[in-house]
Amino acid sequence: MSKKSVLYTVFALLVVASLVLSGCGGGKTTPIVSGNTGYTPPPASQQPEPVNKVATLIFTQEFDNLAPLYSSMWFVWTTWQMFDHWAWEFDENNEPFPRLVTEIPSVDNGGVSQDGRIITMHLRDDLKWSDNVPITADDFIFTWEMAVSPQNTVATAYPYDMIESVAAPDPKTVVVTFSEPFATWLANLWHGILPAHILRPVYEADGTIDNAEWLKSPTVGCGPYNFVEWESGSYARFVRNENYWGTPAKIDEIFIRFVPDDASQVAALKAGDADLGTFISYSDVPSLQDAGLDVVIEPSGYNEFMFLMVNEQKGHPALLDVRVRRAIALAIDRDGINRDLHYGLTKTPTSFWDGLPYYNNPPLQPYPYDPQEAKRLLDEAGWKDSNGNGIRDKDGVELEISHATTIREDRQDVQAVIQQDLADVGIKLDVNPVDDTLFFASYAENGPAARGEYDIQEWSDGPLFPDPDIYYWLCDQIPTDENPTGENWFYICDEELDRLIKLQSTQVDPVERRDTISQINQLFYDKVYIIGMWQDPDVYAVGSRLQNVKFSGVTMFFNIAEWDLVP
Amino acid sequence: MTLYLIKRFLQGIPLLFIISVVLFALMMSMGDPVATMGGRRVTRAADYERLKRQLGLDTPIYTQYFYWLVGNTWTRIDLDGDGVAEASGTRLGILRGDFGTSLVNRKPVMQVIGERIPNTLILMLTGELIVILGALLVGVYSALRQYSLLDHVVTALSFIGYSMPIFFIALLLMFVFAVLFKRWGLPYMPTVGMFDPQVGKTFGQVVYHMVLPVISMSVVSLASYSRYIRSTMLDVLNQDYIRTARSKGLPRRLVIFVHALKNASLPIATIVGLDLPFLLGGAVVTERIFAWPGMGRLFLDHVSRADTPVVIGILMLVAVAVIVFQIITDVVYAWLDPRIRYD
Repeated sequence: MSKKSVLYTVFALLVVASLVLSGCGGGKTTPIVSGNTGYTPPPASQQPEPVNKVATLIFTQEFDNLAPLYSSMWFVWTTWQMFDHWAWEFDENNEPFPRLVTEIPSVDNGGVSQDGRIITMHLRDDLKWSDNVPITADDFIFTWEMAVSPQNTVATAYPYDMIESVAAPDPKTVVVTFSEPFATWLANLWHGILPAHILRPVYEADGTIDNAEWLKSPTVGCGPYNFVEWESGSYARFVRNENYWGTPAKIDEIFIRFVPDDASQVAALKAGDADLGTFISYSDVPSLQDAGLDVVIEPSGYNEFMFLMVNEQKGHPALLDVRVRRAIALAIDRDGINRDLHYGLTKTPTSFWDGLPYYNNPPLQPYPYDPQEAKRLLDEAGWKDSNGNGIRDKDGVELEISHATTIREDRQDVQAVIQQDLADVGIKLDVNPVDDTLFFASYAENGPAARGEYDIQEWSDGPLFPDPDIYYWLCDQIPTDENPTGENWFYICDEELDRLIKLQSTQVDPVERRDTISQINQLFYDKVYIIGMWQDPDVYAVGSRLQNVKFSGVTMFFNIAEWDLVP
Repeated sequence: MTLYLIKRFLQGIPLLFIISVVLFALMMSMGDPVATMGGRRVTRAADYERLKRQLGLDTPIYTQYFYWLVGNTWTRIDLDGDGVAEASGTRLGILRGDFGTSLVNRKPVMQVIGERIPNTLILMLTGELIVILGALLVGVYSALRQYSLLDHVVTALSFIGYSMPIFFIALLLMFVFAVLFKRWGLPYMPTVGMFDPQVGKTFGQVVYHMVLPVISMSVVSLASYSRYIRSTMLDVLNQDYIRTARSKGLPRRLVIFVHALKNASLPIATIVGLDLPFLLGGAVVTERIFAWPGMGRLFLDHVSRADTPVVIGILMLVAVAVIVFQIITDVVYAWLDPRIRYD
């Protein structure tokens, strides 16, 4: 055989081998339910009925894990309303409604004790997992046990690590007792439950559920859909749960495809390759609307803020003067930024609780754009350009302020605008874009945000939505070498603020709590600790085939069982 | 030759060790994987401490590297944070074939990588094959028809293709052949993915979805390779032995494709040999734009979350492939050119 023919043979074998490998590989967590990869289908009597309503959703990030407790990804949270309901969920107005429980516990119906420590939940009688096993209080107890077990690497143990005990006086009653009054339970408890009948044997055998197959293939659930398969990097598939205890879903099958690129997602939506897109960029909204898609903007509770470093040890000394802080707020044309850079699709937030109007009461007015007033305030505070270099100064100190945020494109665009706006009033802004994982690194890892290295730090933040709590603003949350895990990266220690934050976290009466939050709101506004830049909602693109679609800022696909497809 | 091969393989071992140390140190500086595990919020303090401990990230970097290398089954670790190391380690270490567990999805690293390698190979090998064949055809023709109209056209297109960034080519192809063609009622291509999940992963579906990504990747490489082959062919065609072959009356086809091309392809064999191991790394831009589930996208997704075990697993795989393919290239070179001997 000649050398040439050997060479050609080798090349041909390589191509054939790769084609064979592609057919054999796949990264499936469950067997493929298609007929051409060696999978043997079940007998005809067990085969699902032919599907005819199939919807495709696009997620711009792939799941890391589908199990409750094990992921904090937004994209994973959205799937739980499909296959693993929360005890109560939130509607399009972000108002809670009962799902697995008969009614939302409250002081009036006896579900919440007077001191706010004990929450009693009554489960619906018709609840069952998709394998027909009843859902009982034991599943809730098991979920709590798994959340607080040190053997499980759950993404967050909150708020389960605040619970003293979870008891079941009968199979349909769950009694949760907190160590201290815990006003934020409604927003944070029971974000999906674990099937005890499947996972308890795994925990007893292995000492952990980290490696349980159910975590990657949750084929037993309690939602309107059943998880079927997840092809790594490609898609996940859900089919209607025929054993669902609630109203059956209208759409037979839902595919979630992972498309990381924004432009590709837009192309797929325009070509009709998908029925719903997520995290749409503002710049893509006009073209999607022209292509006949609906763009839905849903408040998420998050808003973009600039956090001013009001701390004697950190930050520019000028920021200690409220007149300078107010001048900065007045000098930036935030409405202009939202109009020009965000196509008018977002608004300037007035309050940390913009996504919770109940707590933004009475509603505050945003600081106006008034550069002349900004200059007057700076003059009054003693900051004047004494050396003629265009930058104000005082006692030999230049008004040169550092600003840091992540490298996200829209933030970099806004940084440039802010820099110019502040330059117009004589403030020099040094901009510092930093990669996410570096910017948000911990105090121990010398993360710049955690260390308060910049005079103004910017990111999207909000209360523990849909709860208004903001415990991480407390003085004892300021990170130090002795307390490196402190979460008060704003480095603000305000006695009155501290008192009000601690008070609201214990108030179970909603009216009293609202009044306390309103005082905090006013304090933030008067002292200009934060400057709201834009509301940061969730933006969806919905194809014309999809009907009855509503979104929530908390349990995003809360009514997915009602979604329907028209031809 | 056998001794040479053994010597080359043995030289690769300390090289891989040095590469692993450098990569590990670099990855440790690339961000905090636990910092973004809180989703849209910064990871809560209590969760941060616990996750660092459970994922073995609370130990010094040299300890983490040591465990990565040899495992920790021989020692005990403190999982519950009570200061008492009562749990046995479960990691075997890379020297025992355990690349660790992904910090993002808790799957074994080899499983995570193994799920994507076939997808990458099918895309990259097909692209490489098309590039080589296309470059040979275009390069040889351009050399034989130097300064002809077609040569000028091909040269111009080569420079245009070489100058355009891949993401621009990819998005342009997608919008024209997938979006606009469908809108105009013409036969159209799919936008994203390796196959339509509603149809399934069939041969036809994969080929259908591969067309646009392969074209995107091939345009730039084909342009550069064809220019290179054109240049080497022109150089070889002017050699004395080619003149001798012609004067001896050998058929033109024999002169060009046996005597000339074989010698002109020696540098190309080197370039292809050096390129092949990097095929394992996938095409980051192309895979991201076409949502092709390959190694390039895997690398990008996990490096953005500072998932050290997966990223180092991918890079070590590429490093091993580079060493192996360099040795293979040397062997192929000696086979193509009998003048070359390794003693």
